[in-house]
Amino acid sequence: MQVFHDAATQVQCPSIMDWKQSGRPVVGYTCSYTPGEIFHAADILPVRLRGIETDGMEVGDTYFGPFICSFPKCILQLAGKGKFSFLDGAIITPGCDGMRRLDECWRKAGEDFKGIVPDYFYYFDVPHKSEDHGMSWYLDEIKALIEGVERHFQVNITMDKISAAICEFNKGRRLLGEIEDLRAKDDVVVSGTDVFAATVAGTVMPREEYTEALTVWVAELKKRTTSLSRGKKRVLLIGSVSDEIDLFQLIEDTGKAIIVGENLCFGIRYEGCEIPETGDPLAALASHYLGSSACPRMFGKYKERLQLLKERITKSKAEGVIMQNIRFCDLHGAENALFERDLEAMGIPCLRVEREYGPHIDAGRMKLRIAAFLERI
Amino acid sequence: MRPEIREYRYDWLMGSTLKAAAAVPSGSKKETEQTYRYIPNYQKVAKTFYSAGEPGVLALKLLATYFENILTAHDQGKPIAATTFCNSPVLLYAMDVVPATFEILTALGGVLWKRGMFDYMDFCCEIGMTETSCSSQRGAMGAVLSGLFESIDFVVCDTPGVCDTNANAFAFVSEYLNKPFFQLNYPSSIGDDRSQNYHVDDYKAMIRFIETQTGKKLDYARLAESLTEVDRQDALIADLEDMLLLKPMPLPPLFSLALYCGRFCFSGHPEYTRLLESLVRSARQRVADGVPGLKSGKENLRVFMSYIDHYTVDMNFYNYLEERGIALTGSILTRNFRDNNKYTADMPGSSYSIDLSSPEAMLNTVAQMNARLPMVRSIRGPYDRPGMWLEESLALAKITQADCVIYNGTPGCRNTWGMVKPFARDMERYGFPTHIMYDDAFDDRVESWSNTRERLDEFFHIRGLL
Repeated sequence: MQVFHDAATQVQCPSIMDWKQSGRPVVGYTCSYTPGEIFHAADILPVRLRGIETDGMEVGDTYFGPFICSFPKCILQLAGKGKFSFLDGAIITPGCDGMRRLDECWRKAGEDFKGIVPDYFYYFDVPHKSEDHGMSWYLDEIKALIEGVERHFQVNITMDKISAAICEFNKGRRLLGEIEDLRAKDDVVVSGTDVFAATVAGTVMPREEYTEALTVWVAELKKRTTSLSRGKKRVLLIGSVSDEIDLFQLIEDTGKAIIVGENLCFGIRYEGCEIPETGDPLAALASHYLGSSACPRMFGKYKERLQLLKERITKSKAEGVIMQNIRFCDLHGAENALFERDLEAMGIPCLRVEREYGPHIDAGRMKLRIAAFLERI
Repeated sequence: MRPEIREYRYDWLMGSTLKAAAAVPSGSKKETEQTYRYIPNYQKVAKTFYSAGEPGVLALKLLATYFENILTAHDQGKPIAATTFCNSPVLLYAMDVVPATFEILTALGGVLWKRGMFDYMDFCCEIGMTETSCSSQRGAMGAVLSGLFESIDFVVCDTPGVCDTNANAFAFVSEYLNKPFFQLNYPSSIGDDRSQNYHVDDYKAMIRFIETQTGKKLDYARLAESLTEVDRQDALIADLEDMLLLKPMPLPPLFSLALYCGRFCFSGHPEYTRLLESLVRSARQRVADGVPGLKSGKENLRVFMSYIDHYTVDMNFYNYLEERGIALTGSILTRNFRDNNKYTADMPGSSYSIDLSSPEAMLNTVAQMNARLPMVRSIRGPYDRPGMWLEESLALAKITQADCVIYNGTPGCRNTWGMVKPFARDMERYGFPTHIMYDDAFDDRVESWSNTRERLDEFFHIRGLL
């Protein structure tokens, strides 16, 4: 478990640094719409970029304006401080406008802070619709990304290698699925904090190492008998991007709740279902990453997301849903309001809360709101 | 929402106000003067429009017609589509659909009403929309969602890939009211064959969607007529753009608002052509007389707005420019990037043309036109042309001989706030004093107009501009 916590709580975690020391490249990416399998197929470590361990915002605030979510600002802050010096490449994706502007702000910051922009700095476009021409556009983007990676890193990414990468990633997905089954039981033997740490670790650790560690951990979990959920409220955590273990701890440290599921873009949302291992691997990647429409950036798909959420609530036997959005994240903020309307109408208690990403300066306020909510359930 | 706000519907109130306001100058001067006594709250606004002469009155008539169309749409068997200013209404009109363009409806309430659009904006927050979302949609949206507006029939927006907060607002409306939704999606690049093909596919899908909603097929002959009218309008706009280059500039600040407001409301409609003809006539007369557009008769400064104007109560921003003798050389909203504009010569590949040779060509034209509407083009950001906003703003500021650049927007605009600091820094490097306004163009409560004015004065004073 420690390896997951290390990976989830340190930007320059041992797993990444060991890989780097072996002389192999590392490429960072900003959004769950980037298929990590492509990099794995090229023996490049894909690392989801994060904003943890920030202790100030002087770099982020220099380039971003004041009305921008603190997540991209934290990433830029870390870049400016040289925390991403291990990167050989970075992929920016239009997950939202703030993240998209990270492209320009990072480049501009690179004019002032020499060496902070990786040599391979790539804009990977993701359309907002998955119907025919949207899917076709995204598929072309994947092909262009592969060509770009091959050219820059002088590697050959074959379809066989991508298929093998899909198989390797699927192993992790299956294991995470098994953990979800464990969390769905009446007696839950694992904390939400630990599960989330393990999930986040999957976005930064070398995949084989991750699969191996996860296999061991899942086997250990299956032997556990002590229930962590007795006398506690079962809650689901959803909303804006979060890779912060302390947010989970904040909820579970109340001693009154256990997180039995989440719908976050760092969580099980994308890792929960497998990618077909036969057929055209690129079409399979495109269909998985774009077709799932689990993020509110895919406008007009609210009903699908509500359905997905209802299924998660039912499966995890959640008694309440905590909906958080980072300030200025209107996509999740507005969608949370709709979720709240529809779930409360079904009798599911919901807490909608706005917060800041990064150093938990508003932890006290959050704690108070969460405690009050747990009393309500 | 305060109960008294619920007493009247927003569309009816605005439509009636504008209709009456547009009729006032038809009487004698004495009658007009007498009318001011009965409209103490609208006096300043009315005077601003009337003092602009025929173009001002035509602008009021055009806006009154816009509301009239919304108010009578259902009686005429026409559906109403909620849409955005980045989506040209040409295609909607060609399909007998009445557009309700949220940003325009919000801006008009903002500039015309003493109470602004605050209550409607707040209603959106009451029902869960984030307070940090863009106020330009939240005003009209609040009226629609609270039932104080004609019922909309469906939603069409083209801002996914352009502006999240905008697209998100329309998606919210669709879901909240359970109305059908269609999004046109902008991919990363602009102008290349790949994105062009994508657009055409997207437009075909949109047409199928609207045909399903209305039960009527798109009449391409009618679309051709509308685009022919757009062609005439673009030529007139190019004339006005030419005159923006003159020093002193013969266009009053209000003309800029009339130009783009008319385009967003009535592109392809003869009403807008009449307004443009009047604007051109009036400006040409000033050129012939050798007088600037400013009422004071003296041009002290030329300002380029790198984003949008300020739509505060009582038309304060436009009156402020008049008071200080500041000529407005336009904004992103003014520009259409049609190939007959001089400024496009400095920006290869930026312009579009009109091609009516086939249905496909017409869809191409509409796609290219929309791809150059505000936000979609310059500020869209790091796609195939990183720094597009900076490059184009620089080119426009240079060609219009602006003395300085001012950024004004809304806190909801992630796109510009994600980039405005480096933008301003680079503008300064190129020699343009640049001021960032930390207000909300549609909501005086974020920063009061008196504060905004003080900050503008401070900027002009400290930089030695005025």
